[in-house]
Amino acid sequence: MKEPHIAYKGSEVPEIPDMAAERKTTYSRLFWRFVWLTILCSLVPLLLVGWGINLHYSQFARERMLNFFQTQVEYHRRIIELFLSEHTSKLQLIARTHDRDELLETGALQTVFDLFNQDLRTLTDLSLIGEHGYHLAYVGSYDLWSRNYSKEFWFQQVMEKGIYISDMFMGFRKEPHFIIAVTHSTGDKKWILRATINTESFRSLVENVRIGKTGEVYLLNENGVYQTSPRTDAAIMDKSSFPIEPYHEGIRVRMIEGLKNAQGLDRPPQIACKAWLKNPRWLLVVQQDHDEAFADVNHANTWTLVLLHLSAASILVVTVFITRHMITSIKRRDVEADRLNQQLAQAGKLASIGELSAGVAHEINNPLAIILTERQLLLDSANHAPISDPEFKEQFDDSMNQIDIQVQRCKRITQNLLRFSRRTQSLIETVDLNAFIQEVVELMEREARTSGIKFFSEPDPALPPVSSDPSQLQQVFLNLITNAIDAHDGKPYGSIRITTQADLERQMAFVKVADSGSGIKPEHLNRIFDPFFTTKTVGKGTGLGLSICFSIVKRLGGSLTVQSEMGKGTEFTIQLPFTPPKELLDSLAKKQPPKTPA
Amino acid sequence: MPGSRVLLVDDETIFTKNMSKLLKFRGYEVAAVNSGDAAIRELEQNPVDVIVLDLKMPGMDGIATLKEIIKLGLFAETLILTGHGSIDSALEAMKLGAYDYLTKPCEIDELVAKIEAAWAKKKEAN
Repeated sequence: MKEPHIAYKGSEVPEIPDMAAERKTTYSRLFWRFVWLTILCSLVPLLLVGWGINLHYSQFARERMLNFFQTQVEYHRRIIELFLSEHTSKLQLIARTHDRDELLETGALQTVFDLFNQDLRTLTDLSLIGEHGYHLAYVGSYDLWSRNYSKEFWFQQVMEKGIYISDMFMGFRKEPHFIIAVTHSTGDKKWILRATINTESFRSLVENVRIGKTGEVYLLNENGVYQTSPRTDAAIMDKSSFPIEPYHEGIRVRMIEGLKNAQGLDRPPQIACKAWLKNPRWLLVVQQDHDEAFADVNHANTWTLVLLHLSAASILVVTVFITRHMITSIKRRDVEADRLNQQLAQAGKLASIGELSAGVAHEINNPLAIILTERQLLLDSANHAPISDPEFKEQFDDSMNQIDIQVQRCKRITQNLLRFSRRTQSLIETVDLNAFIQEVVELMEREARTSGIKFFSEPDPALPPVSSDPSQLQQVFLNLITNAIDAHDGKPYGSIRITTQADLERQMAFVKVADSGSGIKPEHLNRIFDPFFTTKTVGKGTGLGLSICFSIVKRLGGSLTVQSEMGKGTEFTIQLPFTPPKELLDSLAKKQPPKTPA
Repeated sequence: MPGSRVLLVDDETIFTKNMSKLLKFRGYEVAAVNSGDAAIRELEQNPVDVIVLDLKMPGMDGIATLKEIIKLGLFAETLILTGHGSIDSALEAMKLGAYDYLTKPCEIDELVAKIEAAWAKKKEAN
């Protein structure tokens, strides 16, 4: 009857290799299922929302930036067109309101020139030119009086169209400039009023605009020649590598790659916004390095994405950590469940053995009864016809005694088997605990001796007989002593000390079972009376023994306590009342048979 | 008291045969049968003072036999013989009206003492 448990041989449940491999696969699958599920439920939505917001914000910011460029282009185009149309209109007005001869009068052209430059010095010079290309009058600082313009491109254009605004050209003065010219006729004589625009003044309209470090605004003619100086790497009237599209209405935005600087090196990709002026056909370009233009957007994008992915990574790490922790918990629970199942199986097996024992004991009792009757018949016969041979008589009496002794021995065995199966009736009887414990000790002595363990009994002679259930008490003592023997596992020798003590005042008996075994770990002390708790290897202990002892002693009105020190030993103390509690007596009385037949 | 009539009911033939001899030797008039049915038939024909009834028998067991005896009005003081394994059944039999029970194996003197006590009770009742 090796039920309870003090020895520590580990609580691991040995697993069958195939099952262990299968479990490992299952845990692995479970782990990845949890991880993927979490990714699906948290990371994917987070990333989708994050990327979506990021994309939306990028587009929004990009559109705002492009709108800014378009606004700049539109604004500057209007300013330039206004400037040109204003000057053209003024020239036309003067040409139409003044006769040629009036303008040829001394100081007349100077007056007009001064009026033009009254607010801003927008004209470099002003000329009145005849139909043959010679100056009729000139106000300005250049020596152009003897020049003939009849062969010049602008002269031919204005004579043909009536109004002409030229591109930038060097002309006779050998410096970049452009002119606005209008024609008018006095009688049959056609004459031209030509104004040379102050290049610096005009260029300031465009070139003073500053957009970031790399932003620039400039004008190109239809051949891609700079009409103003770009901010970087080129000068006015240089040929630009900017791709020229045919004239179109409205504003266009282009991403330009492959532009060259003055040294012929590739420039970084540019974002360019452009619009054609109607007259002259100049292309207004607002341009900036793409990276600079969208630096803020890209910066915000980068940080948003970095934070987003850091969040995702942290969720992933936490998910993996939590899932691993969860799987470890599940593994631990599974091990516990396995151990519980095996203990239950063991308990079931023991119960079956108990049933079997009861059946065997019952069947043995019948032949024992017959043997006893046979013995009695022989004794009766011998009494009836006495044996004359004294030697045979002595042998006969010895044999009869031996038969009786062995039958009684068998009877005790069957009684023990029946007690083991717990099918004996619970009865309250008078029990001399000192003698009773001695009997149990004698029963266990052989097993203890083989383990090198000695018993020491210290009975209290003052302890009176108590009213209790001897069969259940026997079970308790057997359990505690078996445990005490098992606690010496690994030790070559040891001792078990059993003492009794009477507390006459409180009407209590104390029985202490102390061993010199390995002791109980402190963390196990408050669990040893729990059902199915055992530290023995699977198959050796069911974990029921001490819990049964506890419940038996409690039912008998007593208590069972334990003290233990690792490496030194354990002491169980049973406190038992001299008389059982009233509830127990009442419950037993209900089960007692009636004194007289019904 | 020797002279009273005892019915032994047990499926173990050798046991009933031996016990009959022992009881007869001690002055009892003994009838022995090996089943519950045979016990009913015997009681119908020859009433007894004390019945010694085994609980565990094939066919009609001790409890069923006792119930039938009571039902047919053939009741006599009954001693139940049982192995330890069927003490609960013995107690049930006592609730039905059996006088006492003995556990196998039992000494002849113990059985005789119980028979005497049961016979005395019957006489008191009469």
